[in-house]
Amino acid sequence: MKRQLPFFLVFVFGAFMAIQYFVPHKTSEAIYEFFIDILPIIGVFALALGIWSLTKVSVDKIRYRRENWQYAIFTLLGLFLMILFGFTDENWGFHWRMSPEVAGEGTDNPNFRLLFNYVMIPIQATMFALLAFFIASASYRAFRARNLLATLLLIAALILMLRFTPFFGDWIGLRLSETATWLMNVPNTAAQRAIVMGVGLGLVATALKVVLGIERDYMGRG
Amino acid sequence: MQQKHFWRFVIGLALMTMATALGQSEADPPVSDTLAVADTAAISVPAPLPVTNLIARDKPNDRGYGISLSWDLSPDDTGGTQSVLGYRIMRSTTPDGPWDSINVAGSGDALYDHIGPRHEGDSGYFPDHTDMYYRVDVLTADPGVAVSSGVVGPVQSRGQWFNTARTVVFLFMIAFCGLVIWFVTHARRGKDLYVRPLAGIEAVDEAVGRATEMGKPILYLCGLGDAAEVPTIASFTILGRVAKRVAEYQTQIIVPCRDPIVMTVAQEVVKTAYSDAGRPDSYNPDSVFFLTIEQFAYVAGVNGIMLRDKPATNVYMGKFYAESLIFAETGTMAGSIQIAGTDEIPQIPFFFVACDYTLIGEELYAASAYLSREPVLLGSLKAQDYAKAAIIVFAILGFLATNVSALGGPEWLAGFVDLFQVRE
Amino acid sequence: MRRSTLIGGSLVVVFFLAAWLIKGAGASGESPYYSAFLITLAAFLTLAVFSFLYADNPVYKFAEHLFVGVSAAYWMVLGFWQTLVPNLIPRISRALSEQLELEYIDELWNVLYVIPVVLGILLLLRLSRKLGWLSRYAVAFIVGTTAGLNFIAYTRSNFMAQISSTFLPLVGDWTSWAAFVDNLSLSATGPLALLMANIVVVLGVVCGLIYFFFSREHSGTFGMASRLGIWILMITFGASFGYTVMGRISLLVGRMTFLLRDWLGIIAS
Repeated sequence: MKRQLPFFLVFVFGAFMAIQYFVPHKTSEAIYEFFIDILPIIGVFALALGIWSLTKVSVDKIRYRRENWQYAIFTLLGLFLMILFGFTDENWGFHWRMSPEVAGEGTDNPNFRLLFNYVMIPIQATMFALLAFFIASASYRAFRARNLLATLLLIAALILMLRFTPFFGDWIGLRLSETATWLMNVPNTAAQRAIVMGVGLGLVATALKVVLGIERDYMGRG
Repeated sequence: MQQKHFWRFVIGLALMTMATALGQSEADPPVSDTLAVADTAAISVPAPLPVTNLIARDKPNDRGYGISLSWDLSPDDTGGTQSVLGYRIMRSTTPDGPWDSINVAGSGDALYDHIGPRHEGDSGYFPDHTDMYYRVDVLTADPGVAVSSGVVGPVQSRGQWFNTARTVVFLFMIAFCGLVIWFVTHARRGKDLYVRPLAGIEAVDEAVGRATEMGKPILYLCGLGDAAEVPTIASFTILGRVAKRVAEYQTQIIVPCRDPIVMTVAQEVVKTAYSDAGRPDSYNPDSVFFLTIEQFAYVAGVNGIMLRDKPATNVYMGKFYAESLIFAETGTMAGSIQIAGTDEIPQIPFFFVACDYTLIGEELYAASAYLSREPVLLGSLKAQDYAKAAIIVFAILGFLATNVSALGGPEWLAGFVDLFQVRE
Repeated sequence: MRRSTLIGGSLVVVFFLAAWLIKGAGASGESPYYSAFLITLAAFLTLAVFSFLYADNPVYKFAEHLFVGVSAAYWMVLGFWQTLVPNLIPRISRALSEQLELEYIDELWNVLYVIPVVLGILLLLRLSRKLGWLSRYAVAFIVGTTAGLNFIAYTRSNFMAQISSTFLPLVGDWTSWAAFVDNLSLSATGPLALLMANIVVVLGVVCGLIYFFFSREHSGTFGMASRLGIWILMITFGASFGYTVMGRISLLVGRMTFLLRDWLGIIAS
């Protein structure tokens, strides 16, 4: 009951979802659509579980005065304010109005939008922009080619990076750009295809092992 | 202007007008079925010959509510007087009418699929398992001139229980299932299976030992995928092995999660690993926790952990996107040993450059079998290899077949090539 | 808290307060200080994240913790209002639909939609020590359905489609030798250049796949093919790395524009 039945259910649902692909009948289609419909709904319940975990870890951090506990206050504050604004409208009623003017931003509560626009967006965009610095340091790392494989990677990377630089004159510039295009069109296509097929086998084999109950670690044994 | 072109022009104009009119007035009375010859004195278009060989049958490989029609074009369509403007599809529940106009197919079209909606009450709905009759009228530029074909029917629509267009995928699926089951059963019987060494996997043990010596934790990320995504499931299996070693060595593991269900599962996996290692009391439930679902907020949180807790080893296994480079570079800044594995092709180069060991694509899926050394999981690796061999053989055969048939080889070669085309 | 942290923190606060007041004084509109505050806050958070590149510091820690909290709640709120409410409520309850001013259609009512609620609750039972195991039923549903779906999806996309796209023609329509050897540069579309490219693709696919063989020793001819395979993989990774560099650097331009134009007003809009 605690362990065997869930595995049996995994098998039933997994086998159904695999077989329905071959069954165009409306009954199979309706069940498939129903399953696809309810998966995100369950996901929202799971989010509550996540919020609980985050709150618990933060509260424990403050309670036991763990290192950097002061900052956990800001996590809780952000969490609390966003939930408060998110579940109330301008007049503090439990409502979410999707008026056309604010449909893109999702809520009628201006404070929710403010936190989104002036806290979430700038941090999010800046975290993403950090990639510019990190790709520079990663390039530096790539330049210290450690072995043959790393050297091959470096050469290909250099050709692609230098393909638009005007410093080498027309003739070399044109050859670089041609080689770059060739690398992207020919070896890249071949390697991507080999990886995709290999990954596909791994994916399909793992999915099959899950459905057949051979791969069981994800369920625990407690 | 040549006469032929002139007629094309007139016919085109008339077709557009008619299609608009048909689309606009659903309430129009059904078109009369006695149109064959109208006021001949007023027309400038000669009456065309009707379509022949009209066939109506249930649309194959569908969910129902579909009838496929095919016919031979009117001799006046592409040849003869070239007066055919289009073909109007008419449907009735009795052979004698009344007839409903369904749609108009253009001149030159000899096929039409009449597909109704699924729900009763929707416009155009017709039930399955009900007799229906069809007729095709040849239309001309003159709305008064239309020539009907003979009536065909009764025909019924019904849903199928197997899509024959997907037979090859089905066979492939069965063959692969068979291979996996065969090798897994063989492996269970204790047959010794060789697996070639993978540096990234062998580094895992070393990494746990290093963490123990340094007295620092191990950071494990299951990626940004959902709990049910296959790379995440592979990651859970690897997490189980790593956590078991961690428990044996009495080190610490930190698993921040981006998805709450991933957190739930990862907690269960780590807890089980600790019991398997005989140290259930050492398990700390707070070592596996949720951060946030937002991609870059999760990155910010994990970066903080990397810089503050300075883990001896960072293990990244699963689905990763643009953040892969941020993780790997921050980990390097913090001086951690890093082992990564992902099937996201665009991210592999970043991991390769910045991490000490990288599992490429399928190696991620092989890792769980390697770490466990369980014969059952190793057996499935063998099955994957056989499937790969089959793919190589099919790819080479198909490649040869394509080229030989292009040079005028036998027709069955083209048929072989066609087998592998994915159809919807 | 250490003294240096306090001093550093105070300096940062004073700097941004000053920036806010100066921006507010120079701004026009209905509530200049309010909008100046918001822009300054966004600029502060932007710089806070950048400061991480130098070293971990209190300002980054603040931004990071705040971001985690705000974003976790944001997705929770969005999930509730955009997924749960419209997809679930009108299907299970007229009263709740009216309460939330949702359009209620009798035909949409479907008792089966109680199932995701039950599964969701089972998932939440994870928090209970005694009933935690019940959450496995929900996990079983999610994992089972998705594994089944993936099984088919990847069989189609990763095998059938990939195998068939390796069936490449070597020679197109033959005209003459002169045309065949015409234009031999790498980017050419001449028949010989295409032939060579197609041979490399087929060889690359085969050798790449051979590299991924796990249960066979990579020695002899097999080993050579496998080595060629990993070389092609590495060239591809390098190309893909080099290709991404410029795109990543352009991400920075957006943030710099915000700081220099929207906040400091140094560059014109």
